Amino acid sequence: MAQKAGKGDGKSGKGKRSSKTKGGEGGGGGGDADDYEAWMRSRQLLKPDDQLDLTEAELGEEVTKVLTPTNTNIIRNLVVYSFKEGEFVLAPTPGNTVTLISFAGNSLHVDSEEARRQIEESEEIGYPLPMPNYTVVEQREVEPGDGEEGEGEDEDDGGGKSQKDDAGEEEEVEEEDDEEGKGTEGDEGEGEGEQHRDDEETAGGARAVAVPSKKRKLINQFNYCERAALTTTNPKRNVDTQTIPPPRSQYGANVLQWVIYDSYLENFAEQQKDGGKKDEKKRGMRAKKFRDKSAIAEQLNKKYLKCWQILERMINQNIYDDIAHDYRYWEDPADEFRDGEGNLLPLWKFQYDKTKKMNVTDILFNPTYYDLFAVCFGSHDFMKQTNEGYLCLFTVKNPSFPDYIIQTDSGVMCCDIHHTYPFLAVIGLYDGNVAVYNLREDCKEPLYVSKGVNCKHAECVWQIRWGPDMPDGEVNFFSVSSDGRVFNWILMQNKLWVTSIITLYRDNGIVDGPDGTKVSLKSGGSCMQFHPVDPKIFLVGTECGYIYKCSTSFSSKYLMTYNAHNMSVYRIDFNRFNSNIFVSCGGDWRVKVWEDMRADPLFIFDLGAAVGDVKWAPYSSTVFAAVTTEGKVHVFDLNVNKYKAICVQAVVPKRKNKLTRLAFNEKLAFIVVGDEKGVTTSLKLSPNLRMMVKPPKKQLYLDQTTLQISKLEKLLSLVRELPEGAVIHDAATTVKS
Amino acid sequence: MGDEPEGGKEGEKKIVHVYPLVKHSDMNEEMRTEAIELTIMACEKYSSNYEHAAKVIKETMDKKFGIYWHVVVGEGFGFEVSYETQNILYLFFAGNLAIVLWKCS
Repeated sequence: MAQKAGKGDGKSGKGKRSSKTKGGEGGGGGGDADDYEAWMRSRQLLKPDDQLDLTEAELGEEVTKVLTPTNTNIIRNLVVYSFKEGEFVLAPTPGNTVTLISFAGNSLHVDSEEARRQIEESEEIGYPLPMPNYTVVEQREVEPGDGEEGEGEDEDDGGGKSQKDDAGEEEEVEEEDDEEGKGTEGDEGEGEGEQHRDDEETAGGARAVAVPSKKRKLINQFNYCERAALTTTNPKRNVDTQTIPPPRSQYGANVLQWVIYDSYLENFAEQQKDGGKKDEKKRGMRAKKFRDKSAIAEQLNKKYLKCWQILERMINQNIYDDIAHDYRYWEDPADEFRDGEGNLLPLWKFQYDKTKKMNVTDILFNPTYYDLFAVCFGSHDFMKQTNEGYLCLFTVKNPSFPDYIIQTDSGVMCCDIHHTYPFLAVIGLYDGNVAVYNLREDCKEPLYVSKGVNCKHAECVWQIRWGPDMPDGEVNFFSVSSDGRVFNWILMQNKLWVTSIITLYRDNGIVDGPDGTKVSLKSGGSCMQFHPVDPKIFLVGTECGYIYKCSTSFSSKYLMTYNAHNMSVYRIDFNRFNSNIFVSCGGDWRVKVWEDMRADPLFIFDLGAAVGDVKWAPYSSTVFAAVTTEGKVHVFDLNVNKYKAICVQAVVPKRKNKLTRLAFNEKLAFIVVGDEKGVTTSLKLSPNLRMMVKPPKKQLYLDQTTLQISKLEKLLSLVRELPEGAVIHDAATTVKS
Repeated sequence: MGDEPEGGKEGEKKIVHVYPLVKHSDMNEEMRTEAIELTIMACEKYSSNYEHAAKVIKETMDKKFGIYWHVVVGEGFGFEVSYETQNILYLFFAGNLAIVLWKCS
């Protein structure tokens, strides 16, 4: 059939072709396919399986076909149901155009620019492109065929051609393309027979395999090789945590007006109850805080205080530079020309503002620190008692202000500083109390203080002395008072333990009491001194003028009674070199030198005024000094003059002031004297007042102590030999004032 | 309210306390102080409108201590709540007001 169509002129062929498409659509025309094949004579023909085998006659039959531009197969009255209108309505008629296949190809024409470039590139690369799929190759083979089709068409235009022409044309193609030519020629030559065709095709395929080295395959969508790599996929995991939900609680209540009211009342009552406590607590807290702060401040202040003290001393040293020089180095040159007589050079005056109107009641050098001395301030006048007293410790390094100040409620009458513990100061007060202070710590509060009516003296304490430590190491002291008792005070763990040592009954003092009982009179003690060698023995001077020699071992009996003075005995002092010798002074203007167990004095000196104090010099066995209410200091050297003082010097104005107490410095040649105006004056002893014993030429090895003792012994032997009462007895030498 | 006549009987004796009285609270010191201050401020400012006062308290607490605060201001009510521990304040104020604040999210 195809061949027949081919026989028809070109125009009809053309028309047939277009009708063929229509026929194809209609599902009819196998013949149409043949007609198409007419253009593809070079190609192998494919017959549909269901193609009718027609006889020659049938084939020769003329079939008239009318070609119309309209599509006969179109459905004209197509309806769809319209829900809007509730009826079937005509659907718009589809157009006459029927699209059978739409295919956007990526195929390249072998002769095109693109293809050429690709070939060039692949050559440049120099390795064969991936092997294409065989089927793909075949499909590709078709495409050049298409190109030939165009050629063929041109020839058709030339005026139609027979099969021979086509063959000839085929040859031309053969020339161009060997491979293809052969393929098609084979097809042609063998004519029909599908078996053969298949064989041919495989042969062609085999040939195609050999080709690639010669001819490169072009890259298009069919010519590719897929290479894939799959990375391992990490398995997924779920990690999650859950927080603990915040804890919950339950609460419930009922609010009613009475509940509110009651709660308020209850709370208010509680508040008032707690109010007081809270205030107290707060106060306590505040006090504590304050205490903490003040403790720190105090520590700091102590540091500052030390610095200031040093600075103060430096300033004082500068101010009193000349006095300091005198104090150390000045020796009065006039002494050489004054036969045996000396004088006193006033040095510093020590005073304290608060004690200006008080009397100096006692002066005592510290046994350890030679420059430090204690001054007690009180009043000797019964009518003018102050309600305060002071113990001031001055140092000669700072004349302007005391180093330690202890204030008391009553006048301080006496004091003593412990020899072993030079920071322990004990004071006796006018009101009969005693107190112990630790100078290293606070000077404001006493370490010990006597308490209670039975644990104190009934009257003014006149003298107080540290005793030797008790056998079990307890520190103790003795005190004597106008109430006629001598007490021993022991410093216990936290209190003072007091025992009565002796009561100073008068020898003939038993008088009738108001209700017929006998009352033994007591004599008020006014001074006391311990024996330097035997600590059990002590002397007590009384206001009646007696001196009793007592022992701490027994209280009932006096070892000795000296009828010493006509008035109150003010002070007793033992000689430093011979403990059998002591000196006493009293209100009867006299100073007497006694020997132990001798009822009569060895020397009597009348100083023309009440003698407040008398002291042996620490450097010489024959020198002692006394102060009088006239304001004079008398210095005696028995070795030089047995009858009168070698120095009498007024230190304070006669009528306005009186001297009360005196103390020798233990190390240096100066004395301090206290007066009634609260001033303590230091005086330097001139060389004549401190004459040392020159050792005899034969006995140069003897030390000063031995010499001093022998000097005193020599002197004593002179006095002892004197007939009793001949010179001295009650015939006091009056010193000219 | 039924107790009012009783209050009247006491007459002169009765003292009306108006200071804030914390009836129950497990808040920490800082939060409680702030909450009390806030409550007083709000209740004094909106003494005529408890709803408004409660709103102000709630919003401010939400801002300051995280959301989901609940506030009740009233003169008489009962409540039974579950709250996040350490987040409740139940106080009386001005003599007749009870305020409950609690947090629960």
